[in-house]
Amino acid sequence: MDETVKPSEMIVHLGPQHPMMPGPFRLNAKLKGETVVDSEVDIGWIHKGIEKILENKTYLQGITIVDRICYLAAITNEEAYVGCVEKLAGIEVPERSQYIRVIVEELSRIQSHILGMGEYASFLGFVSMFMYTIRDREDLMSLIDSITGARITHSFLRFGGVKQDLPDNFANDVKYVFGNIRKAVDQYEELYATDRIYKARTVGIGVVDADTAKDLGVSGPPLRATGVAFDIRKDEPYLVYNDLDFKVCTHTDGDVYARIQVRLDEIRESMYIIEQCLDQIPSGPLFPEGTAYGRRTPIMRVPAGEVFHRVEDPRGEMGFYMVSDGSDKPYRVKVRGPVYPTLQTLPGLLKGVPVADIVAIAGSMDTCTSEVDR
Amino acid sequence: MVIKNMIQAVKNIYFGPPVTRKCPEDPTKLSDRFRGLQKLDKSKCIGCGICANTCPNNAIKIVRDNINPQSDKKRWFPSIDIGHCLFCGLCIDQCPKEALSTTKVYLTGIIRWNHEDLLFTPAMLAREVDIHAEEEAGEEVSRWTPQ
Amino acid sequence: MMHLEDILINPLLRAILGLCLMGVVFGGACVVIWFERKLSADIQQRYGPMRVGPHGLLQLVADAIKLFTKEDIIPKNADKLLFVSAPILLLGSVFLMLVAMPFGAIIINGETYVIAATEMDISVLYIEAMSAISIIGIFMVAYSANNKYSVLGAFRNFARMIGYEVPLGICIVSVAIMAGSLNIVEIAEAQSPLWFAIKQPIGFAVFFIALMADMGRLPFDQNESEEELIAGVITEYSSMRFGYVFFAEYIHLILGSMLAVLLFLGGWNLPAALTSNTILGIILPTAFFLGKVVLVILAVIMVRWAIPRYRIDQVVDLSWKRLLPLALLNLGWVIALGLLGV
Repeated sequence: MDETVKPSEMIVHLGPQHPMMPGPFRLNAKLKGETVVDSEVDIGWIHKGIEKILENKTYLQGITIVDRICYLAAITNEEAYVGCVEKLAGIEVPERSQYIRVIVEELSRIQSHILGMGEYASFLGFVSMFMYTIRDREDLMSLIDSITGARITHSFLRFGGVKQDLPDNFANDVKYVFGNIRKAVDQYEELYATDRIYKARTVGIGVVDADTAKDLGVSGPPLRATGVAFDIRKDEPYLVYNDLDFKVCTHTDGDVYARIQVRLDEIRESMYIIEQCLDQIPSGPLFPEGTAYGRRTPIMRVPAGEVFHRVEDPRGEMGFYMVSDGSDKPYRVKVRGPVYPTLQTLPGLLKGVPVADIVAIAGSMDTCTSEVDR
Repeated sequence: MVIKNMIQAVKNIYFGPPVTRKCPEDPTKLSDRFRGLQKLDKSKCIGCGICANTCPNNAIKIVRDNINPQSDKKRWFPSIDIGHCLFCGLCIDQCPKEALSTTKVYLTGIIRWNHEDLLFTPAMLAREVDIHAEEEAGEEVSRWTPQ
Repeated sequence: MMHLEDILINPLLRAILGLCLMGVVFGGACVVIWFERKLSADIQQRYGPMRVGPHGLLQLVADAIKLFTKEDIIPKNADKLLFVSAPILLLGSVFLMLVAMPFGAIIINGETYVIAATEMDISVLYIEAMSAISIIGIFMVAYSANNKYSVLGAFRNFARMIGYEVPLGICIVSVAIMAGSLNIVEIAEAQSPLWFAIKQPIGFAVFFIALMADMGRLPFDQNESEEELIAGVITEYSSMRFGYVFFAEYIHLILGSMLAVLLFLGGWNLPAALTSNTILGIILPTAFFLGKVVLVILAVIMVRWAIPRYRIDQVVDLSWKRLLPLALLNLGWVIALGLLGV
């Protein structure tokens, strides 16, 4: 961005510390009155050096580190990492463990979408809706807590399976909680669709067209809101997604309203997936028979090789590229985060837009800055 | 229009009781699998050091300690630096003799004012020394159930 | 009716009455702040302040002590004189409004004594003009604070105030036409059989929306919206200067609600049978009036916590393209009613 200012322009830093920006990144905006003329995104305030840390930890220790890349949807990070190692070492995961993994990942997706919608409402000044979503999300967090033992950083997956089986009476708990969540999601959709102030602030704002999105590598709800039906669970299925029946939610407009609508639809699809899983789950062992892999992971050396494994994170496509040289620590792990390309659309979208829309547009991308910077 | 939002707000005033709780008077409802402070069983521990190798943060060190308060014979036991512990549960899973187990101590048992007091010796982990864990005294923990 | 001026001829007694009213309003502002926090907590299904005093009643005392003991920061490049005197202007404009506002009435033997510091023939016009003086205060803040966020907030404030003073003024004029005078006491008295809110419903709706915009409450609080402007115009204020502005906003809320009740919702009018008894005549009209004011404050607070926020160009659009034609329509309706002799 050009730093020279003409007489009626000024540069405002919507800085890393801000009451209501989605995450600690800096947005330098050149304003002329109230319209944005040019802008620039600055990241790096929450860089933790995770990729370097992973080179010095064994594969088992890496599970707890990888959890913390994006803490709002932690289980998909673990799935990508564990999937890489299982591909390199040739471990086969039994069916029951695959179903349990799908259940926990979809629960994580629901709570991440609910939080994203609520946070977005608070950016518009609609604080009460944020509180409603937090209240509804509590039941989901308790469900995840009863399976994995922790609300956000789970460290639940192990190589070849999962750490523990589902608790007793899980299906009844799920039925009760989902009854509440269905009513809540219907209520949100009704509140959003009939509120004229909300529509005046979201319809037609921040339109991304499909070609720009595909050029930049955007994925997830921002891409599906432009009409491209790309979902890794359908195009490159991993775990048991082949046997499950669900549809990919898309929308045609590509504006802010469409992205929120896509997330609302995805919550319903995820609930349907979990109910199918609970019907279809077979009984069986949690870890592959006849191998040393179990709840106690053996000291393992992974055979040398390179592999890339990708999963569908609530925010898009997350991938791990792992290079192993045959020892017990990885040689290099590269994380492909889903939000990094989505943030690159911001300078193009923010030209000619009033200041109040900056946060509306940036918030609708549902950024988790922790995984932009890693 | 915006009427629906206001009707919802009014409904919440009368038909929505507070769903928050007044911490710390109301205790948190913990799940069964909640991971709190570790508990050491000195009769089972063989001092192999697998837990120390597994810890992602290198919070466990193996030190010499008495095998029980009455005798003077010493063996190797783990001591955990709670200030660096992630409570991830890997040490509990990897122990070959299942000497480490998890409890629900997470408040008064592990909160200290000084950093040096956070280094939990094997005697404290085996509960031979009092760690002021009131919740553990009667195993007072409430399991989450949907209301 | 008699005026209090005829009883309290001594100017010293009238000054003491004015100071008492000021204290009442300050106390009222404290109660309204507590009430807003508790009501917003109820809407969001949480508790609100509970620890300081029973059910958080002393929370405001704790906040005031905190504000007094904070460090008072003046930015290095700020214009010192304007920076220091701007909050005084903002608070002063609100107190100037208080001078002419009646707080209730005492009815003894059929004679009505109005509790007000002074009595003017053009009090409605005076009240509206005084509430617009705060614009100068905001201009002083924005210029002196040397901060880009304050400047942006001030621009939005100007656009909003200019846009909403016009429908507000037209609604007040239509009420004055219907009552036949600009004296606020006479307007309140002229609503004896039927409230003006029933006689001119469109005017009431327009006045309510314009009043919320005038007071700077959601959905029109762009000047202090937290999302992009941190704290808007008052970003650079800490400690008691922030307290001034904060208090000024809440006192403006109380006085604005009083204005709404006096102009449209009947003031303190009661059927004559109820006020024939002397003791009831002293207590009831004022109590009825204050009860209505509390209901209006409740409605304003609930609207703030229940709906999202407009963008500034949509706010200006709303005022010039939608509220102004409705206000003019209401004016025409009132003139027609007057010509028909209703």
